[in-house]
Amino acid sequence: MSFDFHRPATVTEAVDLAQRLFPTARFIAGGSDIVIQINRKKIDPSHLIDVACLPGLSGIAETSDEFTLGALTKYHTIETHPAFAGSLRALIEAASVIGGRQVQNIATIGGNIVNASPAADFVPVLLALDAVLDITGPNGSRSVPLQDFIVGPGKTSLLPVEIVTSIRLAKLPARSATAFVKEGRRRAMEISVVCVAACLTLEAGGSRCASVRLAIGAAAPKVFRAKAAEAYLEGQLADQTSFAEAGKLAAEECAPISDVRASADYRRRLVSIMVERALTACFERTGEERR
Amino acid sequence: MNAQNHSVAGRRLPRLDGVGKVTGKHVYAADFKLPGMLYGKVLRSPRAHALIKKIDTSRAASIHGVRGIITSADIPAIRYGTAVRDTTVFAVDRVLFVGHAIAAVAATSLEIAERALEAIEVEYENLPTLFDPEEALNSNIRIHPNWETYKALPIIARSGNIAGQARIRVGDVEAAFAKSYKVYEHRFTTALQHPGYTEPRVATADWDANGNVTVWCNTQLPFDTQNTLAEILDLPSARVRVTVPGIGGGFGGKLRIGVEHFAALLARKTARPIKVMSTSEEELTAALPRQASVVLVKTGVDKDGHLLARSGKIIVDCGAYAGSGPGTAAISLQVMAGPYKTGALELEGIAVYTNKVHSGSFRAPAGPMANFAMECQMDMIAKDLGLDPLEIRLRNVVKEGDPGPSGEIHKSVSIEECLRKAANAIGWHDRKPEPGRGKGIACSWWMTTGGSSGVYVKINPDGTATLVSGAVEIGTGAITGAAQILAEELSLDLTDVNATGVDTQAAPFDYGAQGSRTAFSVGNACLAAAAELRRQMFELAAKQLDAPIEGMSLQDKHVIAGNKSISIAELARISRLAGGGLIAHGTAISPAPPYDPTRVQNHPLPVWNTPSYHAHAVDLSVDQATGKVTINRYVVAQDVGYAINPTYIEGQIEGGVAQGIGQALSEEIVYQDGRVMNANLTDYKMPTAMDVPEIESIIVECRSAAGPYGAKGVGEPPCIEPPAAIGNAIAAATGCWPNSLPMTAEKIAAALRVQQS
Ligand SMILES: Cc1cc2nc3c(=O)[nH]c(=O)nc-3n(C[C@H](O)[C@H](O)[C@H](O)COP(=O)(O)OP(=O)(O)OC[C@H]3O[C@@H](n4cnc5c(N)ncnc54)[C@H](O)[C@@H]3O)c2cc1C
Repeated sequence: MSFDFHRPATVTEAVDLAQRLFPTARFIAGGSDIVIQINRKKIDPSHLIDVACLPGLSGIAETSDEFTLGALTKYHTIETHPAFAGSLRALIEAASVIGGRQVQNIATIGGNIVNASPAADFVPVLLALDAVLDITGPNGSRSVPLQDFIVGPGKTSLLPVEIVTSIRLAKLPARSATAFVKEGRRRAMEISVVCVAACLTLEAGGSRCASVRLAIGAAAPKVFRAKAAEAYLEGQLADQTSFAEAGKLAAEECAPISDVRASADYRRRLVSIMVERALTACFERTGEERR
Repeated sequence: MNAQNHSVAGRRLPRLDGVGKVTGKHVYAADFKLPGMLYGKVLRSPRAHALIKKIDTSRAASIHGVRGIITSADIPAIRYGTAVRDTTVFAVDRVLFVGHAIAAVAATSLEIAERALEAIEVEYENLPTLFDPEEALNSNIRIHPNWETYKALPIIARSGNIAGQARIRVGDVEAAFAKSYKVYEHRFTTALQHPGYTEPRVATADWDANGNVTVWCNTQLPFDTQNTLAEILDLPSARVRVTVPGIGGGFGGKLRIGVEHFAALLARKTARPIKVMSTSEEELTAALPRQASVVLVKTGVDKDGHLLARSGKIIVDCGAYAGSGPGTAAISLQVMAGPYKTGALELEGIAVYTNKVHSGSFRAPAGPMANFAMECQMDMIAKDLGLDPLEIRLRNVVKEGDPGPSGEIHKSVSIEECLRKAANAIGWHDRKPEPGRGKGIACSWWMTTGGSSGVYVKINPDGTATLVSGAVEIGTGAITGAAQILAEELSLDLTDVNATGVDTQAAPFDYGAQGSRTAFSVGNACLAAAAELRRQMFELAAKQLDAPIEGMSLQDKHVIAGNKSISIAELARISRLAGGGLIAHGTAISPAPPYDPTRVQNHPLPVWNTPSYHAHAVDLSVDQATGKVTINRYVVAQDVGYAINPTYIEGQIEGGVAQGIGQALSEEIVYQDGRVMNANLTDYKMPTAMDVPEIESIIVECRSAAGPYGAKGVGEPPCIEPPAAIGNAIAAATGCWPNSLPMTAEKIAAALRVQQS
């Protein structure tokens, strides 16, 4: 392990550097994934390009219809952002259980997305919110839905010379709520055995589901949307029976592995339990607006 | 002296090493550096059991920056070990586990050393493997085909793959079973657990012009390390100097030589100072973890739940070398007997070789494994007989004067007090407060390991005292505790005592920071040194004050004789000029109590010194769907004899329970086909601060005869009961007993599903 460390001043400079040093360079933000991969000899880059210092890539901006999160935004910033305390609560719930305090103060959400771990905790929340990524590369900027961005375990459609600059989330309609739940062996510093993010919007009147988005982590080669469960719930009565049924459907959709953290069987059981719980939490959170 | 009148001992005083540690100024062995130092790395086997056909180091040696490479061919053919001398520095002809050291490299940087390891070519030929200890008992495959040629302690009984086998027999167990109203038989398993110290094992070695070597390391036993190094290096031990700048925890995992020998051998080969430090991966594949075990317990009771007979067998998986396995297997027998009266006992402990990492003496070796089995079974019996788990224990616990398993007499017994206090504190009357929530209790006893301690104490001309001990301050505050005793006896303030680090060249022998003995034994040695210093001071004061020695006392840093007095500082100054100064050598050894040798066979620790008694109670909730355990409250009532410093006793209790919670719920070095699947701290799950509840400590003080002011050993016991107490509480909450550690959410969920269907 030995590398040169570069600190570009702008996104353009960073992209240029990456192009010049291709394919031996990697971007580094908080370093909480990539440093471990280097230490464990999974990768051996000759150059690290620090994006953590780039201006304009962190912080949370809000317009009337969407939030824009800079790719360098840290979990602690998200956890304490007042606008997320309402229907976007899942963002806070996920941010507050990623690693521990030290990780929450150094790791970035962009890193979580680009690292594309099947067990990433922030990705399911963003996926359940239909997040869109803004990317800058040598040929300018483009936008991609997160859904299309992650293609496999650790694999994304990002080119090595591209930088994720921000993540956009559309605001949720009325009668909506989100929830994030995570299971693991410990209460902190834990890679999810399974994690589930749910976003539920109720129909006017509050008794039926208008739309549901369910994203599940650590139960398939990549974080995935439980489409069958989502489709089933649309128009269903929002109650325990249908939430439990959605859990079952999601468990059928998942494709977990057995590893040192848990067996595939247990993961499948967790998916079913946790989907039901996440939906129940969402439903309870819409309580104010239902009436 | 009346303990009630103490002004230094017994008080919650800040520890002497505290400021340095919290400000980051304290130098740990891992911080230690020498100019021109090289870095050492160890090549470790990727195979579990194989012949080494060839080792070719030529390519590695030619790498720029590589300064030396050693293999078994370069060093004396010596086998070492505590119980069985079966261990070698490097694999000789055969590798016995994945992680077995094959060669070591010294280079100018770690990166170069790592590259050199990759360039060493080793050819292997696989041998059949043994991973399951029960299978190893009866297998024809031999991990040590030449085991008969190894030297061992004469007390150790060996055969084939069995590295040690001990027994305790009391009465006629078959007859007692036959008489029993009911007989219960259960099987439990426990997992391999890393001691979890913060600082990895590390050593820096340097040879001087006269052929003496100094090793700066973080061993718990500097004198044992000195001896082992002398054997390995084939030197008189006086030529080996071991010093411990500071140690970031040990918990029994740093008792035996870790990387010191690699450093010393590489430094000799290269004639340069060299540092070797384990990585996390090496810690989890090639350190000295707590053995995994299989425990079978069979217990016969009468109608009222009195214990009539118990037979038990523990199979301790000691891995590729005996390590602490034989001792652990043997000590487990006393734990299986428990602090209970049992009519007849037939207990057997077996340590068996497998192709896995060899193991050590993690805090209360054998304690949690045997206690988990025995104490969970107590609850199962209680449930079957319709008895309250506290009640069945109270009916069976030993009382003052009762015989222990080896025929020794239980003295200053407090087990009933501990049980009642723990039960009261947890709110035992309401054992299942709501669905999915339950309370559990477990109790045990444990020894205060003997072994000798010596200290030198010098009174300085400013009236302060310098304490030189061969015992390492391992982080418990034990040396502060010993210093509190010294200060008390000399009428000094604690801050007047300056405790030095350990250096085998200068310090008197100490049996080491192990076995709940440091504050106890070093404290006793301080008592002896203080008595000798008082004698010296009174003699000198008698001359100076022209007063009789009779009736003299030490008060507030002065010798008082009637209405005359002279300060300790003044006496030290006079003595220095007149006759070499006030210096004392204090020693302590607590002899083993009398016991009945006919009861105990092949047992290296046949009877326990100054046992302590303790009970743990826990209140927890279990998620009925996922199986996840949440600990609501945790209470420990522990008899410490005399609390030398209550704060550090609480620290020991809290830390021990945290380790016990880890063993109970989450920690396990997972092997699959001989390979560790979680050799990193991402997947080896020690509990975090978020997983450990506030631990409530109740300090019970039932004075011992042998300890300083009546103290008993404190350090190891707190990690014994957590698996059993938690297991019993899980059973109270769910109706099912997980019989294997760790009791993960997944296992509990599976048990719940079996119960539901
Ligand atoms: C102790 C510990 C605990 C952890 N716990 C959790 C947990 O509970 N849940 C969880 O999900 N994760 C966890 N992680 C993983 C990690 O912290 C997160 O995935 C984090 O969000 C990664 O962000 P980072 O800024 O540190 O990424 P880095 O390590 O800096 O980068 C990760 C990858 O993304 C690339 N990259 C980063 N930013 C950009 C960008 N803007 N544009 C293009 N490429 C980019 C890098 O090149 C690299 O390939 C933990 C890590 C540690 C060390």
